[in-house]
Amino acid sequence: MNFNLIVPIAADKPEYEHTMPYLFNFDETGILLCIRSIMGLDLSKFDGIYFALLAKHNRAYLLEELFRIQFRRLGLERVKVVELERPTSCQAETVYQTVKKCGLQGSIFIKDADNYFESEIVRQNSVSIYPLETLSMVNPQNKSYVAVDDMYYLTNIIEKKIISHYFNAGGVCFEAIDDFCRYYESLIGRGRHLYISHIIYAMLLDKISFRPFAVDAFADWGDIISYKRHLNINR
Amino acid sequence: MKIDVKGHSGCAVDVVREGTELYIDKKAVLPCYFSRLIAQARKQQRAVNLYHTPSIIVPEILDINQRPDMVSVKMEYVYSMNFVEYFEYAGFYQITHFIDTLTAFLLEEIRFSTITRTKGDVLVNKFIDVRSKCQSNPALHDDPEVLLLLKGLEPRFLTETNDFEIPVGTCHGDLTFSNILFNSNSYYLIDFLDSFVETPLMDIVKIRQDTAFGWSLLMYDKAYDEIRMNIILEKIDTACDTCFSQYAWYRQYYSTFQLMNFLRILQYAQEPRVIDYLKIIIKRLSDEF
Repeated sequence: MNFNLIVPIAADKPEYEHTMPYLFNFDETGILLCIRSIMGLDLSKFDGIYFALLAKHNRAYLLEELFRIQFRRLGLERVKVVELERPTSCQAETVYQTVKKCGLQGSIFIKDADNYFESEIVRQNSVSIYPLETLSMVNPQNKSYVAVDDMYYLTNIIEKKIISHYFNAGGVCFEAIDDFCRYYESLIGRGRHLYISHIIYAMLLDKISFRPFAVDAFADWGDIISYKRHLNINR
Repeated sequence: MKIDVKGHSGCAVDVVREGTELYIDKKAVLPCYFSRLIAQARKQQRAVNLYHTPSIIVPEILDINQRPDMVSVKMEYVYSMNFVEYFEYAGFYQITHFIDTLTAFLLEEIRFSTITRTKGDVLVNKFIDVRSKCQSNPALHDDPEVLLLLKGLEPRFLTETNDFEIPVGTCHGDLTFSNILFNSNSYYLIDFLDSFVETPLMDIVKIRQDTAFGWSLLMYDKAYDEIRMNIILEKIDTACDTCFSQYAWYRQYYSTFQLMNFLRILQYAQEPRVIDYLKIIIKRLSDEF
């Protein structure tokens, strides 16, 4: 059964009309931030790695060529840039469109492009966690929080509300792509912004279990301020 | 101390301090609400020791004060969250516990009741009454869609209504989420109400008024996570529908009673957005027949 990694970077904002999304910037070692975001994972576990981005960004900044050079430099194989013609309404839609466009089957690991962590990856329904109190600077507003029970199962996941000291560090695994797609289809359009955490929450209520997995070396560049801070720390 | 809490029943609700204790003081100053408030309080008083479902609690009515110009009811104060605040944070265990408790409570009401042959006239008379109130409601009387809906329902309620067998005996009467206070894993039931038929079916109808149709969310004016709320409401709704589908009377009469329930809300509706919402729901339910 296939196991694929998807990195969604198809967000569109008014400021991106004339400015390149900062996730396509380089880090201090000359690696694109969005590629840096997956370098803490054991990439040999994946049958394919998919960077999903907007066609208009690709056209404006020749991103596919830029990515190709980076893949060659880093020796990354089985990597593909997926162009989405229209901006998506949310990260979940970007993942869904990528799955459908590439005909992906099996399991998916979704990794945010705006942070980095190191962790072992297990192919099961799971959410990466990191303890909030270990961060010296944090924007609690741009995170989802995760509650874990004594048996080490996820019992709750919620956007922007601190229900636990664990937050989702930006990595989520769905053992069955079909489950992800089915829940996405049933939830999209039922509110203003569909988060991947909504999909996980709906699955939890249906008794589909998720495990947390702790990550190390977490680094955040989840917004432009965090990005500048990240650059200063590593300078 | 005096804290204002928004109510929907034409009464003012305050939290008052007496010494070191807090109480709820519910007051009606308009005579048309006097008898309703007294009936509510008496029904709640009777319910205090009635139910044995764990986690279901009915706050005590401590005093009913009737004066010519005012009726006030003093009730035990309960520190609690409303349903939106509670659901916004609730995880798997809280939602599962709530569903189990709610269905257990409704099953207890069913056990307390007896299957009773009820005259079809009850629904006929109710429909005639609702139709007349809609026609005299200035916000509705010249609304062509409302008139068309009522006309379309006449065969259903005036000519096709036979006697029916449903459980009669015990019900809350207005079991919407607005009348449930949430405190950890305990649920406090308030604002009991006499119903035109004292049947647990009415309580299932009122709960599904929220879970299937989102009524109490329409009345909620603060921001909330719409998708999360939809996920939870659908979960509760499916659980209730599955649980009570074991009963023939539920399968047979739920839609009729739900339709009548929304017609009863429509007759008093004033706000255009509420009227629009009700017209959509009533049309949808009518089309199901």
